[in-house]
Amino acid sequence: MNILEVKDVTFTYPGAGIPTLRHVELQIEKGDFIAIVGNNGCGKSTLCKVMNGLIPHFITGDFEGTVLADGIDTKTVEIGDLAKVVGYVYQDFENQIVRPTVLDDASYACMNYAMPDYLDRGRQALKDCGLEGRDDEYIWQLSGGQTHLLALAGAVSLEPEVLILDEPIAQLDPRHADLIYGILKDLNERLGKTIIVIEHHTEYIADYCKHVMLLKEGHVEWVLPTKEALDRVEDLQASNIFPPQVTLAAWRLQRQGRLPRERMLPSTISAGREAFRNLTFVKPETSENTQEKEPQDKAVSVSFQDVSVSYRSVKGEPKKIYQHLNLDLHKGEKIALIGSNGAGKSTMMKLMTGLIKPNEGRIFLKGAPVHETKPEQLSKYISLVYQNPEDMFIKDSIEADIAYAMQVREVEEWQEKTEALLERFRLTKLKDRDGRLLSGGQMRRASLAIGVALRPEILLLDEPTANLDIATRKEIMRTLKDMEDVTDTVMIATHDMQLVSEWAERIIVLYQGNVIADGSRNEIFGNKEVVEKVGIRPPEIFSMGKALHDDAFCYTVDEFLQCFV
Amino acid sequence: MTNMMKKLSENIFDKLSMDFLRNQVLKNAYGNDDTVIAKLDPRILLVWYLFFGLVPWFSNNIIFLGGCFLLVAVTTILAKVAGLVLFLFLVGVFSQTGYLFLVSLFFGGNAETIIPLLVLTLKVATVSLASITVFSGLDPDRLSNGLMWFGCPERLSFSISYAYRILPMLMEEFQNVLLSYRLRGKAPESNGFIGKIKYLVYQIQVIIHSFYPLMLNTAKRSRTTVEALEMRGYRYAATNKEVKKMKLSALKITYDDLLFLAVSFLWMAIVAVVMSYM
Amino acid sequence: MKKEQATQSQKLMVFVLTMSLYGLATLFTELIPKFQIGLVEISVEYFLFIPLVLAMLFDPLSAALGAATGELVFSEIMLGQFGGLGEVEKFITVTIGVYIAGRLVRNPGNRKMVGIAAFTGTAAQLLMGTLVDILKVQFAVEDFEAVAGLPESVFATEGFAFLNDLLFSGFLFCLLPTLFLVPKLYGKIEPLLGMQPRTESTALPSIGGKMVIGCVIGFLCAVAAEFLAESGFELISWEAEWAESTGSIAVGMVAAAAIAVIVLVILKKKAGDTQVQV
Repeated sequence: MNILEVKDVTFTYPGAGIPTLRHVELQIEKGDFIAIVGNNGCGKSTLCKVMNGLIPHFITGDFEGTVLADGIDTKTVEIGDLAKVVGYVYQDFENQIVRPTVLDDASYACMNYAMPDYLDRGRQALKDCGLEGRDDEYIWQLSGGQTHLLALAGAVSLEPEVLILDEPIAQLDPRHADLIYGILKDLNERLGKTIIVIEHHTEYIADYCKHVMLLKEGHVEWVLPTKEALDRVEDLQASNIFPPQVTLAAWRLQRQGRLPRERMLPSTISAGREAFRNLTFVKPETSENTQEKEPQDKAVSVSFQDVSVSYRSVKGEPKKIYQHLNLDLHKGEKIALIGSNGAGKSTMMKLMTGLIKPNEGRIFLKGAPVHETKPEQLSKYISLVYQNPEDMFIKDSIEADIAYAMQVREVEEWQEKTEALLERFRLTKLKDRDGRLLSGGQMRRASLAIGVALRPEILLLDEPTANLDIATRKEIMRTLKDMEDVTDTVMIATHDMQLVSEWAERIIVLYQGNVIADGSRNEIFGNKEVVEKVGIRPPEIFSMGKALHDDAFCYTVDEFLQCFV
Repeated sequence: MTNMMKKLSENIFDKLSMDFLRNQVLKNAYGNDDTVIAKLDPRILLVWYLFFGLVPWFSNNIIFLGGCFLLVAVTTILAKVAGLVLFLFLVGVFSQTGYLFLVSLFFGGNAETIIPLLVLTLKVATVSLASITVFSGLDPDRLSNGLMWFGCPERLSFSISYAYRILPMLMEEFQNVLLSYRLRGKAPESNGFIGKIKYLVYQIQVIIHSFYPLMLNTAKRSRTTVEALEMRGYRYAATNKEVKKMKLSALKITYDDLLFLAVSFLWMAIVAVVMSYM
Repeated sequence: MKKEQATQSQKLMVFVLTMSLYGLATLFTELIPKFQIGLVEISVEYFLFIPLVLAMLFDPLSAALGAATGELVFSEIMLGQFGGLGEVEKFITVTIGVYIAGRLVRNPGNRKMVGIAAFTGTAAQLLMGTLVDILKVQFAVEDFEAVAGLPESVFATEGFAFLNDLLFSGFLFCLLPTLFLVPKLYGKIEPLLGMQPRTESTALPSIGGKMVIGCVIGFLCAVAAEFLAESGFELISWEAEWAESTGSIAVGMVAAAAIAVIVLVILKKKAGDTQVQV
């Protein structure tokens, strides 16, 4: 039985010249778990809003065709009644939560629809979404992952047959991402809900989804079972979707004739173990393991000396973030700062820029104590790019934003320098646009350009690849590599292990306010204890290599193909 | 001496940092939900407030006003209100009557002016403390339910709950935008009087300018919020009496509530006795 | 039918947007101490430019109500600075001021009109506030006329405050920021809420007699709120007299209240903390 039927739907946003959706035909069966993939701007979010009735009820525009949700024509019923059939979780889910406490928000919709047992329904939804026992907590006490689960619970409470989630794990560390998908799986299997996700993390698609739908330029290219879908490597890559690294490695081996062509490509590590079993491991000659560790005689850029920090908390004792932290960062290092959400990564960056003062201890920036220097003077040496690029845009065009810091400091030739930066970050054509109206990748590039405008010696980036699809992530990684001549020392706080392993020279692992590991990628990813404890999820191809041979340290598909012949 | 001044001003600056303000506001809004006052029925508290928020304006008897003042002072302590709010209360009371006192002296008033002004001060203080007790002490949701019971428009009670939800997010965003200005901008030197004025003007400019990004960012948010509200039946509920009844059925009057009223009444009766024998 | 529904949600968006932003701004003005140089009060009080800007770009009434609600909820209720009847007056004057300004602008691209509207709206709000303020002191202090120097001082300070506010805050904090922000946001913020920018042809018709009458009625309500307070005066003072003359009854009340407290404590102990069975 089809729970959702989209019949010949064409939709054009008001004022837009071309339709966003073109003659979309789609049937989704009850109990399916389907991923919608496609490049940016192909109409994924629009299609979801058509399915839950926001279009045409709420967003006006040119709408043709019919959508049947559980047999009901979405045009004929109120949007509220549709919410009982189709639940929706936004990408910016935190704006979807309107009540101050957890249970209150979870039961809000049920209360509004005058269901007498609304509290019980809310509690049940919380239980289904793994938030049991947090009834009376305030929203801001929740972590990012829990907030997402609450948004989900709010939708689940109405017991809709279909749940649609727009990029559910974009901002989460791997542990939380696994948690979310675990719960979606449970909702799908135990309660028989139909789940629709917009997702570009193909490893998660491979692990959890039953079907994949490729949307291209506003129409459905195909809908296939996951295994077959991931097998279509060319189709996916044409839409800027990157198949799991294991699949990609197998596909390239096939093309080189090293794997039989007729076989289905593996998409998970266990399938890979089977597919790659005939390969033999060759230890590469220039392995990092054999390299002598460089003596650390480089100049110290930043030095944390016995630093303790705590936050004022709303209730009770102040929350301790760091206790007696000692750490030196050297000139010219490329450092990745990793650890789960809330481990203190952002705090460390704010300490360096003088935005937070330590309760004890001192931080030295090129030998001068940070908290005795004014922030605007520090900005010559150090620059911080926030996690949320929208907060970096304070002017009405990105050109003005890039120029601002140079302009007020009366840097010589600031106009020319601004132009050069625009050119370098490929923003010249967009220079008059407001930063927050750009696409995700453009926004990131613009925020990086703003960050390096003063040519700081130390650049700090907080989650530069969060919320980006993989193609844009690769683009940002290229930009980072391009920037090497601009800044000496770069530190990135991130959950993106591909970025870490392909870019970083030094990895610092934070765990509960302590540095528990500090070293090269082999030292970190090879340390099982640390990986387990912190919940680091190495790039899939690394785990694949490890699964095949204990001495394998391959971080990219290229390296994998070199190591296994 | 100058060193001490510097330290003092640094200390004050530190106290007035966004972080501190944010913490104090959050503390006041969410940090005291387990006090005696927070557990009371909102309707009872509102009725109680109606008395102590209005009656003092109409009495000029110092004993009566003093009695009211003492009572609301005790309830304010019970409500565990954040320090900053109390500080604001003190500043507010002084600026409302303190300056009047000085001005009336200037216009040829004398010591007799003090009595009416003391009366005025007590009135202002009592009414403010009563409102601090009720509005800071009560849980936002209980408060909005209480107001709804008394027939306040649904939009208001929605606004209260929503405000408590959105406040931490808004503050964080505001803080980030201000930080952008602080890091990338260049504040003028704040030496000397002219420098201080320039610095102040710069600060004000920055705050005004920061509303440009804030307005756009918040507009983005508001859209998602309102779409979500539509889906979650907000408008359906606004016109449905059944929903209101359901919401309000969660309110229950306990012995604690009656006890609170009775104790307040007892105290005021004692004050009345004192008044009649003075 | 559908179209109207869409505008309903758009109105809600404007309401939510204005409420959050203006609420946040007033929260800070409440927290930041005011600078006083002699009689000249330099306060960053006037964030009124926020609702002014939004009222000129979007639905004026939603923005006006949003602003008034935002101030009420964020700075009055959340911080417990709720001032009772005085807030009714503030609510109404802010709504009227912002609404007038929003209605005056038919084309946000016209800078001159934006400036005139911003100034008119601010002046209207301030003037109404001043009138009510004077009346308020008159009510609060008994024998207002009899206290030497008080009437003069009140008129002087309030009149001065009005001029100071209008010229200083009105010009610096309302007119200039509005002129700065409206052209920057026009055409940029509307699509974020899924709306068309306001033009001459889509604007509401210009201000008519109905609206003027509406505003006058609103203002009278604000004044009436204060007068209502005055009329209650007699009642309470009668009560106070009664309490003074019959001390024995007051003693009886104390006894009754004390018994009530004791009974309630016993009942509570017996029943545990459960609902009162009536």
